[in-house]
Amino acid sequence: MFKVTFKFESGEGVTAFAASGENLLEVARKTNVAIDAPCSGNAACGKCRVKLLSGELDSQKTRHITDEEYGAGWRLACVSKVEADVEVMVPDIASAYKGRMKAADLSSPAEVKIFTEAKEQLNAAGIALKNSLELIQVSMDAPSLDDTMPDVERLERAVAAVTGVNRVRVPYSVLKTLPDKLREADFKVQCIIRRTVRNIFVYDMFPMDENVQAGGLVVDIGTTTVSALIIDMLNGDILAKATTGNGQIRYGADVINRIIESRKEGGQKKLQDAVIKETINPLIHTMCRNCGMKTSQIYRMCVAANTTMNHLFTGINAEPLRTEPYIPAFFKTNAVFANDLGIDINQDAHIIIAPNIGSYVGGDITAGTLVSMIWNRPAYSVFIDLGTNGEIVFGNSDFMMSCACSAGPAFEGGDISCGMRATDGAIEACSIDAKTMEPTFTVIGDEGEKPVGLCGSGIIDVISELFRCGIISPKGKFVREGERVRHDKYGMGSYVLAFKEQAGSVKDVEITEVDIDNFIRAKGAIFSAIQTLLTSLDFDVSMVDDVYVAGGIGSGINMKNAVGIGMLPDIPLEKFHYIGNSSLSGAYAMLLSGEAERKVYELAQSMTYMELSTTPGYMDEFVAACFIPHTNSSLFPSVNQEVID
Amino acid sequence: MPFTKKLQKFNATVRSVEVGTGDKAVTLGGGNTLPFYSFDAPTTNTAKIGIEISDMGLAHEPDCIKEVYAGCETVADMAKKAITMEGVDFLCLRLEGGDPNGENRPVEELVAVAKEVAEAVDFPLVVEGCKNVEKDAELLSKVAEALQGKNVLLMSAKEENYKNIGAAAGLAYNQLVGAESAVDINLAKQLNVLLKQLGVDSGKVVMNVGSSAAGYGFDYLISTLDRVKAAALGQNDDSLLMPIITPVASETWSVKESVATEEDAPGWGCVVERAIDMEVETAVACLACGSDAVILKHPTSVATVSKLISALS
Repeated sequence: MFKVTFKFESGEGVTAFAASGENLLEVARKTNVAIDAPCSGNAACGKCRVKLLSGELDSQKTRHITDEEYGAGWRLACVSKVEADVEVMVPDIASAYKGRMKAADLSSPAEVKIFTEAKEQLNAAGIALKNSLELIQVSMDAPSLDDTMPDVERLERAVAAVTGVNRVRVPYSVLKTLPDKLREADFKVQCIIRRTVRNIFVYDMFPMDENVQAGGLVVDIGTTTVSALIIDMLNGDILAKATTGNGQIRYGADVINRIIESRKEGGQKKLQDAVIKETINPLIHTMCRNCGMKTSQIYRMCVAANTTMNHLFTGINAEPLRTEPYIPAFFKTNAVFANDLGIDINQDAHIIIAPNIGSYVGGDITAGTLVSMIWNRPAYSVFIDLGTNGEIVFGNSDFMMSCACSAGPAFEGGDISCGMRATDGAIEACSIDAKTMEPTFTVIGDEGEKPVGLCGSGIIDVISELFRCGIISPKGKFVREGERVRHDKYGMGSYVLAFKEQAGSVKDVEITEVDIDNFIRAKGAIFSAIQTLLTSLDFDVSMVDDVYVAGGIGSGINMKNAVGIGMLPDIPLEKFHYIGNSSLSGAYAMLLSGEAERKVYELAQSMTYMELSTTPGYMDEFVAACFIPHTNSSLFPSVNQEVID
Repeated sequence: MPFTKKLQKFNATVRSVEVGTGDKAVTLGGGNTLPFYSFDAPTTNTAKIGIEISDMGLAHEPDCIKEVYAGCETVADMAKKAITMEGVDFLCLRLEGGDPNGENRPVEELVAVAKEVAEAVDFPLVVEGCKNVEKDAELLSKVAEALQGKNVLLMSAKEENYKNIGAAAGLAYNQLVGAESAVDINLAKQLNVLLKQLGVDSGKVVMNVGSSAAGYGFDYLISTLDRVKAAALGQNDDSLLMPIITPVASETWSVKESVATEEDAPGWGCVVERAIDMEVETAVACLACGSDAVILKHPTSVATVSKLISALS
């Protein structure tokens, strides 16, 4: 056995032991050291860099690491075997996903505005923002020798008298402390109850003078990002919010890799722990600290996630989702309680899961559809959730169709050599001067933050601008020469956004033809899905009245550029609306409102799911869309290249 | 009620591309009907047939081809003989010896062969490369330069090397560009757009949308031909209105139906007849689905297909 020490830039370290020949990335995973590995350790993405500080590693050299970097000690963890005691530095860039992630989590005023509007629209559509939790006050007569009724019966009768419902259920968690609490409060208490037509469930009990809050937890589990809210179930106020990376990230960037990982020995448990113990529970504790709430006072939770995440979260085998005929274990379930999954909230709390409608269209979309309001308008709308998977819903108040396409991790920076998630150092917007080919960009982070890589919105801008300036061909190949356009020894072209002297990293920030090609595929997948869905109904883009774009990357997207690369249909820009993290706001609505919850179940049932992989013509549409802006240029009349003399 | 003939009229016409110079020059394309639909409109240009010879001479050719060219000592001799065959409209020189995974003949040597052939015959010429994209980029560019003024068609520019071949053949030396894509209407269209953006005159482009022998994924090819023609004429799609040329011989002469000896396949009959049948059947299907020209190897195939074209046009 050898000793492996992982050092972080903060100076902290973790020590582990590894057998000879053991893979360094595996050792890191076992030790819970977060090394970013979007490609699941296939040496494809080059993201799992570590720096050798002392000792030795048996590392293959890959194209991701230059000779210079190799000399300086940089290695890819996934191709490194432990052969001696070793000390490696895990760079901050790699562990960046743990925090500081820019995501749509209602932290900006613009998002709060979108959120408030969604609430108002739901209300206007006749959906009351009310739920079945109530705070009631109950007074009992103290027992005496003449009145020998047991405590629980006394409580049940008193609750029945206040609520008018005769069946009252008192769980063990309340029963356990019942004698003490009743006597301390002199038999005058406040109770958090859930009221249904036939019965009352008593969650908790407090003395009369206590200021009682009934908390609710909303969680949007994305493949990459997890966002959560704690709300006041009685008035709907948001009390706390937080966002973090999905702890499962180290097991692969996309759902397929996660499912594969979950089938390894103990994998299902590992993935469930990664999302619950390492991701959601810490979020709950942070938020509860921030808003001064006891975790046990969260009485209900609502989760919106894609179908795979729903399975992995509930610890249910997700393998059948991946293999033909692609069958999920459930679309809808209300059988899950906090206690079953080890969520750190009131153990009797019910977990509402937004219903899935297909193996690749999940609860994030059904919840999102609710707040997109497309079901409530006669106008034909497209609702797109951009993420690792792109999901699309098209319809109006009469019908709805949905489909999903695999855009891959490109929108989140995966599969792109200088790609990164939207954290500090990411170029999020860019424009290029057509004459000089010089870029101007904005970088996420504090003033003066140096660029390290490109996030999804930045990539869209760069590619759109490169095309507009005639620097790349519609196939994404470089056709102009200049200081910033380079070709490597294999002839592969690239465009340098920031030379390493200006960059915040050890190398130039550049975008290569391979990156552009990967991205063209991702955007092609999205556009061809929209096109196929519309064509299947004999519609075309000109009949689309509105496009609602949701998802983390959506916030930063320059819609004009997204049209410019042929990702979104060429319709007037004012028809595009960004609706924030619709999965999170949809889940919020489901948690707060029983009617909204029922509406989502109804929407899920009335949506027709179209499996693109078995749709004839999808492949044709895809190939046609893998061109900037499109092989059929008449679909994009407004997109033009500048004529450069 | 009397029968009223309904004509299928298209608003689009496939571009006419002239190959070669002088009175021998042939015109590909120019049609505005579906293939052989002469009842819809008179045929402007009939489909054309090229005969293929190789820079490798007769070294790798089957016996039946050796017999045809008996007595020829050089490739130029073969060229002279080939153009005398019945029904031949143009000559196709295939520089297969350039393949780095085969003979790997140097570019200069191949250019010399091309020059020799071009000087030996006054006949429309198509030059095919060796199918290796890097080698072809250089080879076909040099051939374009060497054969200036002959108006030859260079095959083929693909997505990977269209810039070199397109720039040399289409821009610098005023030749014709063959645009080759892999059996997909969208890829065909994309390459035409790229060539146009490079500055190549669309009137100087001939498409090769893929090739295969009948029975070898052939349904993909003919449906692509069909769709390209339908889109070009029906939708007046400018980026698909190029004539289509399909190399047939290079595909059919290597499949088992054409090479298995009579001992190995006793029930299949004469190997020469089989090879010719494969070539004819493949060519006819391509023509019926939209090819404006085919490239064949055996004189009997050429004569047969030529008769069919005249009979149907």
